[in-house]
Amino acid sequence: MRIDAEKCMGCMECAEFCPMDCIVEREGFGYIDEDECVECGVCLRVGVCPNDALFIPKESLCYPRLIRAQFSDPGVAHPSTNQAGRGTEEMKTNDVTGRFRRGEFGMALEFGRPGIGTRLTEIEKVLQTLMAMQVELEENNPVFALVADKTTGRLKPEVRNEKVLSAILEFKIRQEQLEEVVGRLRPVLAEVDTVVSWGLATRFAENGSLPALSRLEALGVPARPNGKVNMGMGRPIVEP
Amino acid sequence: MSHSLHRHGTREQLQQDYTFYARTSRYVNREGCGPKLRRILQILLEEGQVNNFGSSHAGKSYVAGLKPEEYALTLDKAYGLAACFSEKAAVRSLLAKLKEADTGISIVVSGLIDEIAAIAKGLDLTPHTVFLSLGVHGKRASLPEERVIEVTTMCGHGQVATRLTRAAMERVRAGKMTPEAAAHLLAQPCPCGIFNTTRCARILEAVREASAEADHP
Repeated sequence: MRIDAEKCMGCMECAEFCPMDCIVEREGFGYIDEDECVECGVCLRVGVCPNDALFIPKESLCYPRLIRAQFSDPGVAHPSTNQAGRGTEEMKTNDVTGRFRRGEFGMALEFGRPGIGTRLTEIEKVLQTLMAMQVELEENNPVFALVADKTTGRLKPEVRNEKVLSAILEFKIRQEQLEEVVGRLRPVLAEVDTVVSWGLATRFAENGSLPALSRLEALGVPARPNGKVNMGMGRPIVEP
Repeated sequence: MSHSLHRHGTREQLQQDYTFYARTSRYVNREGCGPKLRRILQILLEEGQVNNFGSSHAGKSYVAGLKPEEYALTLDKAYGLAACFSEKAAVRSLLAKLKEADTGISIVVSGLIDEIAAIAKGLDLTPHTVFLSLGVHGKRASLPEERVIEVTTMCGHGQVATRLTRAAMERVRAGKMTPEAAAHLLAQPCPCGIFNTTRCARILEAVREASAEADHP
């Protein structure tokens, strides 16, 4: 995103809408720090500029910078998945896709959330740890298309320093891997230069209980009381 | 993914904050989903207690000006629709009507897990899968104060800025804006329709009351 200096009146009305807080006043006019801008498009979309000074320059539409908008603007589609959004259907349609079965856990590590943003290098640090643990990466997640080496977890060099509002590593593990995966991830996550919101998807047991809760508590990563529940109303249902 | 998963707040706040999704699968039932999603939207609107609705493909939410009839036209081959509620009774009533409608579209409700499970039990529904939030890890020192996160995490795509939230709180404290008007302003950047303006106004009202108490103990 950029501000047309010829049109800007210096009112700075746009600045407080910026999730990255990267619109500053310079010599009486608004200026966007383009290295920090994640191209989320919020400032433009809310229509706050009285003089239409905000615009998307052609550089923002060129690869690799283009991926910033793909991960940060919920209205922009990823070419690798052909749909908008940082992630996948995950557990939202699990009743009809059977993606996560009993005996498995889905995991999602969302980098940059809430509200901090992330360089893709931070994702790479954790991805390399995951690859050493034989987890099953979600190939339909847009991060997967940025991986240069599927055995080491190295990202394509041209995208490593790009900044996005958030990006998700999605993967699946066998339930018996939980202790190992949590144990190895925690110290790596503690070292990343951003925040990471961590999620775990699991089937309800046949009696309606959630055996994962006590294991997570014991591992020092207790689940919050609120979460997302697939109500089992999709049809045809897989593994009732 | 997971955009309603990591909402922050006290248990009391979360008892007044439910998000709802009707979600099609690109692999199973997206083809021809339009009439079913429009039926779900109709049921949703008839419920009357809906706080907000929309989805990112529509570009804006109801509180940002999305009209129901305009939204209905976008639902062919759509990944789904989203909405939020402040009342548990409304969620129960909606699920009862959707069970009867039996559209076959996956339905997801976010909120307090034990309360959602209790609603399901009462309606003889069998919850299938849950997504648990294991909290925020990494550089937590860079996070803003919890009161701000309670507001900003109501937009799971991170479109509601910390700075805007603090500015809105300050305007409410100073009496320059009502909590409701500030909540409406904060909802504008979120295109998905899951920013709960009723809950947000309550948070802002609490901020104002705390400020008034501090000024006049």
